[in-house]
Amino acid sequence: MADNSEPAGIQSDARSPFVEPSDVELVARVQAGEEESFEELFNRHRRRVAHIAGRFFRQREQVEEIVQESFTKAYFALSDFANQQENSFASWIARIAFNACYDELRRQKRRPESSLNEITEEDNAWLREQLLADTSRQDVESAAIARDLADKLLARLSPEDRLVLVMLDVEGMSVGEIAKSTRWSVSKVKVRAHRARASLRRVLSRFL
Amino acid sequence: MTAGEGREIPMPGKKKKLETDERLDLLGSRIMRANALSEAEAESVASSPFLYARLRARITSERVRHEEGESWLAMLKVFWRAIPAMALVAVCALALFWSVATTRLTTGGFVTEAIINSPDAGIERTVFTDNQSLTSDDVLATILNKDDGEVAR
Repeated sequence: MADNSEPAGIQSDARSPFVEPSDVELVARVQAGEEESFEELFNRHRRRVAHIAGRFFRQREQVEEIVQESFTKAYFALSDFANQQENSFASWIARIAFNACYDELRRQKRRPESSLNEITEEDNAWLREQLLADTSRQDVESAAIARDLADKLLARLSPEDRLVLVMLDVEGMSVGEIAKSTRWSVSKVKVRAHRARASLRRVLSRFL
Repeated sequence: MTAGEGREIPMPGKKKKLETDERLDLLGSRIMRANALSEAEAESVASSPFLYARLRARITSERVRHEEGESWLAMLKVFWRAIPAMALVAVCALALFWSVATTRLTTGGFVTEAIINSPDAGIERTVFTDNQSLTSDDVLATILNKDDGEVAR
């Protein structure tokens, strides 16, 4: 019979090869100095972090950089992490990833080489067509134009606007979830979202 | 009286603006999604080989950087703590120096300035400017020698 004096999380034979340890157990092991458990945490959550980075950046190197940055930050902050709930590590690492993306967007905005590319006639035509069409075209050519155009248009938005719009429109997060993730107040998220939509509309209407 | 009285009927211009805004929002979110990496692409980045090895290398280099920063910080802390002690030592040294100098001036038994400034001393000034090498005995001996010479003449 197992020793009942042990805490519930450790009692469930955490080191057994048949039972996968929970995030809470893995974090506790890393905090206790077992470095190998960090690899397991990395393997569990790297896809989620890569998906988050992929919402903001399309270049493979940039996404990899965000993944590395996020896990490095998590590694060094793990000693301060309150390891209490099963899904708290997942939401914590997601928050770190969003922050890393936001920082990278701000760095990009500061760089002088990130100049704004001109919108071509072809882009303009595509925009007009998309605005008038009820359903969007799904062909390869349209997707390529959309990607190219997205680069040019989104470079004109502020990092805060991009962060909020990605969280709302691409990640499908609620205002409450965004507030939790960014540590902004709910009203600040609402105001930011309103401003972000207005500025995207402004940018789009300038080219229509 | 019209059927729509009492309800807010959107003005044609306002309605058109609302419609345009809706369409622009839709187009905007389509563009946002177009900018995102597809699931398969993100998956391929996440499962790229040696990603964990590169992460470990980065963690190691960051750790070294942290430690170097910490050692500098520790040195600065030591210096910071040493400042009051060094100041105290400096004050003590200054006080000691000052007290020694004062004692020499007052208890030396021979104040050179008093002799130099007195017009009747009868001694050439250059003799007394070097107060380190002349003692009061030397001066007395010089005076006595001079007096003896005059008597002899």
